[in-house]
Formats: sequence, C-alpha cells, structure tokens
Amino acid sequence: MRTMISGAAACALWLVVPAAAVAQGMAPPGAAAQPSATEAAQTSGNKVTRMEGGKVLYTVVDGYNVDSNTMNGFRAWRAAACDRCHGANQQGLVGPSLIESLKTLTKDQFITTVREGRLEKGMPSWKSSKMVTQNIDNLYAYLKGRSNGDITRAHVQELKQ
Amino acid sequence: MKFVNAPWLRPALAIATVCLLAAPVASRADADLDKALANPNNWAMQAGDMQNHRYSPLKQINKGNVGKMQVAWMFSTGVLRGHEGSPLVIGDTMYLVSPFPNKVFALDLDTQKIKWRYEPKQDAAVIPQMCCDTVNRGLAYAGNKIFLQQADSTLVALDANSGKVIWSVKNGDPKLGAVNTNAPHVFKDKVITGISGGEWGVRGYITAYDVNTGKQVWRAYSTGPDAEMLFDPDKTMTWTDGEMKPVGKDSSLKSWQGDQWKIGGGTTWGWYSYDKDLNLLYYGSGNPSTWNPIQRKGDNKWSMTIFARDLDTGMAKWAFQMTPWDQWDYDGVNEMILADINVNGKPTKALVHFDRNGFGYTLDRTTGALLVAQKYDPAVNWATKVDMKTGRPEVVKQYAPGENGADVNNKGICPAALGSKDEQPASFDPQTKRFYVPTNHVCMDYEPFQIEYTAGQPYVGATLSMFPAPGGNSMGNFIAWDAGTGKIVQSKAEKFSVWSGALTTAGGIACYGTLEGYLKCVDSNDINKELFKFKTPSGIIGNVFTYEHKGKQYIGVFSGIGGWAGIGMAAGLEKPEEGLGAVGGYHELADYTNLGGSLTVFALPQT
Repeated sequence: MRTMISGAAACALWLVVPAAAVAQGMAPPGAAAQPSATEAAQTSGNKVTRMEGGKVLYTVVDGYNVDSNTMNGFRAWRAAACDRCHGANQQGLVGPSLIESLKTLTKDQFITTVREGRLEKGMPSWKSSKMVTQNIDNLYAYLKGRSNGDITRAHVQELKQ
Repeated sequence: MKFVNAPWLRPALAIATVCLLAAPVASRADADLDKALANPNNWAMQAGDMQNHRYSPLKQINKGNVGKMQVAWMFSTGVLRGHEGSPLVIGDTMYLVSPFPNKVFALDLDTQKIKWRYEPKQDAAVIPQMCCDTVNRGLAYAGNKIFLQQADSTLVALDANSGKVIWSVKNGDPKLGAVNTNAPHVFKDKVITGISGGEWGVRGYITAYDVNTGKQVWRAYSTGPDAEMLFDPDKTMTWTDGEMKPVGKDSSLKSWQGDQWKIGGGTTWGWYSYDKDLNLLYYGSGNPSTWNPIQRKGDNKWSMTIFARDLDTGMAKWAFQMTPWDQWDYDGVNEMILADINVNGKPTKALVHFDRNGFGYTLDRTTGALLVAQKYDPAVNWATKVDMKTGRPEVVKQYAPGENGADVNNKGICPAALGSKDEQPASFDPQTKRFYVPTNHVCMDYEPFQIEYTAGQPYVGATLSMFPAPGGNSMGNFIAWDAGTGKIVQSKAEKFSVWSGALTTAGGIACYGTLEGYLKCVDSNDINKELFKFKTPSGIIGNVFTYEHKGKQYIGVFSGIGGWAGIGMAAGLEKPEEGLGAVGGYHELADYTNLGGSLTVFALPQT
C-alpha cells in the first residue's frame, strides 16, 4: 500500500480521454455514447480529486476514503438496495453493470433513468424516494468514481479531515 | 440428439377425456381434486399431493431403465427469466405458467398443441417490486378450474376447458411491495395463497378464498394483535420448556419494539400442505423486516414460524418459531412435509421441514411438539444446536450481526441468506422412508445498517456478499435425510447450489436439476449412483414432475436460470476486495448456461 504524501507534493493534472471501447449495449436507446465533456483528475500521492463541469465531483484517498458528499452517495446506494440488481460491486446481476453504464451515460441521462426508471426492465422509478432524490448528485459521484476506477472498493468510508 | 417417436398419440381420445372432465361441473371442487389426485397418471398439484411428498407411484421408468430415457418433446415459454415450479397434468391436458408476464398455456398431450392461452394485463411497475426475480411457482387445479396467482397479487380462476376468467380477486397492493411469487394451493373448498414483500416491509398474511366465488373466507396475519393473527391466547399452543403451552395474550405485540410489527415482514411465499384427518393447514412465515436486526430487537413473533391452522376458520392450533430475532434472513417459508415415519423408534404423524437456518426439524404435526432439530449441512455455524427444551437455537456471537452492531461486517456466516435450502422443495419417498433434499452450501458476510422505511421502497438494511462454504469447490449438495434421527444418510456434492425441486418414484429413483442445466436421476437407495444425466437448454431451478399418458410415463422439468439462485450466485462470487472484475463461480456458471425458459419432457424409447 502506498503511503500518504502530505502537503503540496508534486501534482499532476491531465484530461481523461473518453474511453473509445465503451460497451454500446449499456447505453439507453438513442443515447449518445459520450461521457461528460470535462473530466479532470488531480492526484496527490494516493489522493484523487476529479472535476466535472468545473466543480469537484469527488475526492478519494487510498481508493476507499471518500469526501462526505460521495459518502452520502454510497449511503443512498445502500439504502435503496441497488445492489440487489446491480451487484454488491456494481458489476451487474439482473440489472446492468454500472461500472460499464456510467462510462456511457451522461449525468442527465443518469438522473432521468434513476428518476423515471425503466419499469419493463425492472428498474424502479426513484422519484418518490427522498434518500435517492436528495442525494442524486452524490450517488452519481459515487458511481462515477467506481466506474472510473478511482474508488477501488464498493464499500467506502468517510474521509477524516 | 435422439427424440422419441410418438405414434401412440391419438387426438380423438384427448377430446373424450376433456369432455369427461368438463361434465361434473356441479360436483364439489374438493371431490374433483381428490379424484384427480387419486389417479397417479396425473400431476394435479405442485407437489403431486397435499402432503408435499413429491413422490409418484409410477414405475415404468425405474432404476433399471432410466438411463435409457430420451427427450420426448419440448416447449418454449418465450420468457427469459427464472422458471420455478412445474406444470400440472390433469387428464389429457398439461397446464403451465411462465414467469412475469405470467402467460398460461393449456397443452393437448396428444398433439402438444396449445389448446388455449391466457395472458393477464399487468402493470410493468410490478417488475421492480419483486425482490428476487419475476418467478412464478405454478398453477393450481380444482373443480375444472385453473388458479393463477399473478405477480401483481391478483388471484384468478380460469375455466380449465377454455381459459376464460371465472373470477378474479386482488390479494395485496403491489405499490407497497405486496406481490406474489407463490403457487396457490387448493385444499377442500378453499384456495390458499400467501404474499411476498419481506424486503419492502410488507406485513405478512395468508388468505383463504372460496374456490367457487373467489370470496375471501379468512385472512391471518403473521404479526400483530391476536385477533388479526387468528390466535386464541388460551388455545393456540407453542413449545415452551419442553411441552406445549398456550401462547398467551399479545404474544406477537410483546415481542416487537413499538409499531415495528406493522412493517415487520413475516411474509408467506412458500409451499403449503394439508392434513385431511386433522383438517390442519401448514405453512411457514418469512423474515422480519428490516434485515437490520438492531432496529427490531426482540423475538419478532411470529416471523420465522411454522403455523398449523384450522382450514375452515384459519384459527391457529399451534405455532413454532424457529429463528427468534432473525439476524440472517433465514425465512421459515420452506415446505412442510407431512409424513408418517418412525421418530426415535416411535411411529409418528410427523411434519418435516428443512429450514433456511440449516436445521432439519421434525415436529409432531398434531400437537406441534418439537421432536428433532439437527443440522442438514455440516457447514452451518451461526448456531451450535437447537435447545430441545426451549426450541431456540444456541446462537454463536461471532456470527450474530445484531449482537455486533450496525456497520460491522460479520464475516464467514454459514449458511448465507439463501439458507442451507431455499424454496426448492424436497421429496419424501415412502418406500425408503427418506427425504431427498436439494441444498445450498454457501456462506456470507453480513453488514447491517440503519434504514428508514418509505412505503413502496426496498427496506433491506444490510449488505451481503456470498461465497462457497470453506473447504471445497462445492456450492450445493443433494442429500438423503433420516428425519426420525436427524441424520444425513448420504450426500452427493454438486458444483452449484441444487435449486430444483426433487422427485422420487416407486421406480426407485430420485431426480433433480442443477444450475448448469442437467436433469439427473439417481438410485434412491444410493444417491451417489447417477443413473441418468441430460443437459437441458438452461440452468434448472424448476421442480421435476412425472405423469403417465396413454400408458407411457413421462418425467419433465422446466429449465430457465434466474431466481435468487442466479442472483445469489452472482452476488456471491465476487469478493469485495477483489475490486471490479467479477470472478469465480458466477462467471463459471455463465460458462455453462444462459437465460431462456423451456419445458423438457422425457420418456423411455419405444421398444
């Protein structure tokens, strides 16, 4: 395991190129297989901070210590029992792998899918769930972190400041 | 592949038999069902009888010739998800139902032509409300009616000749997660059906409907006030300090904190049985809700309970709770097998039950007294034994998530939430006096967490991961069990969980399916002697059944992977620390099989 590097160590900044080989089957009908335009990761030792739309999407240390928003995303994931269909590690069971889906879904598409569901495929509408709707950005951040491979364990814990 | 020629099939005879069945409309439904059950050529109930034996006196196919069985015919249901249960055969007609959208087919056995079909209109919103795949465990028959228990909880009576709806009744509210997967069962003049939704906080109940009108006769809840449970505090008995004593007032309410019982589960989605002489109905209740035990300290009565109820009134004669304060999701819904056997050397009217918690129970079915409780999988570690005086399991703290607090991952608990056995029903062979049990050999890590109840939303409150039991590659066993002493007579290892209902016959064979998709038949006296093996189109989670038509015996089974077996496999076999890639058994299962529902029917080749 890598050790924490404290202070302002050598930082790298780069743009993440959208993966060319995305699983087309995971995209909703008519969806452009194009992830959000701006994604940037800032790493400092074992700490990764990723940006989207000019804002911090999530921060993760050692692959499983996450910022409080992302932690709330995990809590929403757990409370809604998403794992029953998508797998404890988001790998996909009856429902699709979210590791793959989040590589192609835009944030808007993600939110629409979660809010409206895809009933005939077994995906419920989460409109009436406060836990999910209030944490939808956080849920997106958590799943995006899993999909990007920055969050290396499904079971995260809150980063101690 | 060799197929059996079928020149003996004569359509004209089929019409004659159908007319015979249609004629006695006025006769009572129970007389009609009794008649159908008395003829071993039929498979008139899901278990072949009312005692859940899953045994057939047919012996044309026997241990000497089963190895020569060939496929006679096949039928695709056109549905991809998990296919549990089995068809029914009455006279010259086979009746079957698919998983959601619950298409019903009546097949002419002379021609395999579809006589009629019925497809209910159901809201697709019910699909996500079903916890463990959109399975349906089969139809019921009586009084020239076919009974369909739809996923959306609607119970329907169809005319067995035409498929036309005779009556229909709503059994629950699917918007709140009260859906159905169980087969309805007809006993006497009543259709008995349960409810699912323990993962949605549904308060469980069982209901009796009039077979002719669909009118509700009685409903009994698993939890709550005595009157709503149909409990008599003075006359409903339970095993207490080594003897049967009255349950007393408010036996359920006292065992919950506050109003948690209202969203406390105890659903009833298993198989039911009936003893005609005692007029008692037997079934079990499921897990208490939520899966986080810390939010519901107490015994959570009467979740995880075997009930014996008067069929006519629903009043509980006795109740036996197997897993007080469940911390593992060990639903008590598995079938109650009513068998007359020697228990510790004494002839006994017994009830035998292989619980999810890993213990095989033998009770006196007249009184409810506990006679035997022993592990039927040596891997079981959450309890050391059942205290025969109190009937309570002696729980091992290390494997008790409720004792260890929320957000603690409790590792290596055996069995997994799937249980040492789930709904896949066992068979009782009255010749060998043994029970043939399809089992799981899977363990789990269990982490409970705080969860708030929202109506109509999942109410689970625990994260699980499942994996094969330590020491070997087997995730299931097919066992022969002596319920009189509580001992495993023989055990045959299988690569994956055995998630298929077993069949025994007077031909000295025991048959079951595997998740890879094999139908296997073994020698009832030596189950390690595999006599027949055939690879069907998909993994088998359906129940093996048999019937005779025009002098020829057939053995059939649904294939169609899915259900919790498929999901459980998948959930189980990735260790969280192994990151993103799915590894191990799930991908291995995917190497063997794929989705798709079919019925395969076997017979001996023509001589």
